[in-house]
Amino acid sequence: MAMDENGYRTGDTRMDVTNAGRVLVVDDDKHAVEILYRLLQKEGFEVLRAQSGKEALATVAAENVDVILLDVMMPEMDGFAVCEALRAAERTREIPIILLTAKDDMETRVLGMKLGVSEFLTKPINKRELFTRIRAQLHQRGLEHGIVSLVDRVD
Amino acid sequence: MDGFPFLIGQHPLIQKIQVLIKKVSSTDATVLVMGESGTGKELVARAIHALSTRGDRPFIPVNCGAIPAELLESEIFGHERGAFTGAIGARAGMFQLANGGTIFLDEVGEMSPPLQVKLLRVLQDREIRPVGADRTMKVDVRVIAATNKDLQHEVDRNAFREDLFYRLQVIPIIMPPLRERRSDIPLLVEHFLEKHNRKKPERTVQITEEAMVHLWEYDWPGNVRELENLLERMVILSEDAAIRVETLPSNIRSFISEKRIPKPSLTASGLDLNSAVEEFENRLIEEALRRTKGNKQAAARLLGLKRTTLVAKLRRRKAVPGTVQPSQNYLL
Repeated sequence: MAMDENGYRTGDTRMDVTNAGRVLVVDDDKHAVEILYRLLQKEGFEVLRAQSGKEALATVAAENVDVILLDVMMPEMDGFAVCEALRAAERTREIPIILLTAKDDMETRVLGMKLGVSEFLTKPINKRELFTRIRAQLHQRGLEHGIVSLVDRVD
Repeated sequence: MDGFPFLIGQHPLIQKIQVLIKKVSSTDATVLVMGESGTGKELVARAIHALSTRGDRPFIPVNCGAIPAELLESEIFGHERGAFTGAIGARAGMFQLANGGTIFLDEVGEMSPPLQVKLLRVLQDREIRPVGADRTMKVDVRVIAATNKDLQHEVDRNAFREDLFYRLQVIPIIMPPLRERRSDIPLLVEHFLEKHNRKKPERTVQITEEAMVHLWEYDWPGNVRELENLLERMVILSEDAAIRVETLPSNIRSFISEKRIPKPSLTASGLDLNSAVEEFENRLIEEALRRTKGNKQAAARLLGLKRTTLVAKLRRRKAVPGTVQPSQNYLL
């Protein structure tokens, strides 16, 4: 299968899974970030880390990120504020955000929904669910890149 | 047709598909729309047709999966008088009816191999041969096909012709399942509520935020169509003009909690009942403490326990908020 310069498969119409893409893990809990980092890397994802909302925004500004795994409860700048900042900027508006929430936390869900997050992932995190949801978002990103290059080719 | 935009949604993928639809509509290229059922494949086809220069000519949809195989050929290509038993008069096929316009071949993956050959010929030569006719006729028809099957897979297992597959997917458009663009659910819900409320102008049914969250988290195997059907039904059946969590069908309402609490399963080594019960208890305690922001008195009341009992349990399990002992399936 042909790849474009970003490593996305081009002209791929199969609905299969993909690990191609960069995941940014954001959590103020150093331990949590490390566990997620190691686990996702072992599974074959390319992973970046940030331990605060500010660090996350700086990372996203400097690097290409395809999906963000974002904890809600963080000091100073919480997950919601990070969402708002990401959605407000042209460059980062379309990056899928998977919000880590507590089970049955209705308030967080209502707010997250309004801020346009892509998925909720309930803590405690289930490995299989984590991988599935990340892959689903990466798959969509891959399709988006495919469409953009297709639009350029259609005359 | 409600006019532009044809697809409701602000998800980046939907936005890009809109751009592609616009671009493609100015060409005559064959389009293959793929996606699960209920994702809006026909909507895409109708949009491409409506935006094209063929927009004021016929749009003829054919569901290849719904017509018996032995009738499909004459439905699509027409037949001459006496072509087969029962063919009393000559009849025009869908391709003739669509002349100057667009034919939409839905569930194209269901076509029999002989018919696939004939469709391939139409795409190559732009002419058809009605059943029983001894000569071909030219047609000017744009072809848009759709499938909910993985056609590449059908090609791999020799159930679909590879050459036809490539002829069809000159422009492939893949419609995402609704669960992969949840952020569009609130917009779609508002759209369908407005649409179905219009039929009952004497009152307006609205939805609570909590009910919306439940719709947001449901996985929608029937996609947008399932969502619209549900909302249409809820508008009709609603007694007090409000869609609340309690009024949602139980399969949707219970989805959040059922999905989140994995059912314990007996492994080869068996199930340790004590630790499974303990884990469940820990999670309930943690949830109660979280909801009461750590107030043990209030948390105990939520759990129907005496404060002293809860404190004793906490001491035994060290289940302070956020540090519930993780089971093997859980990371954090």
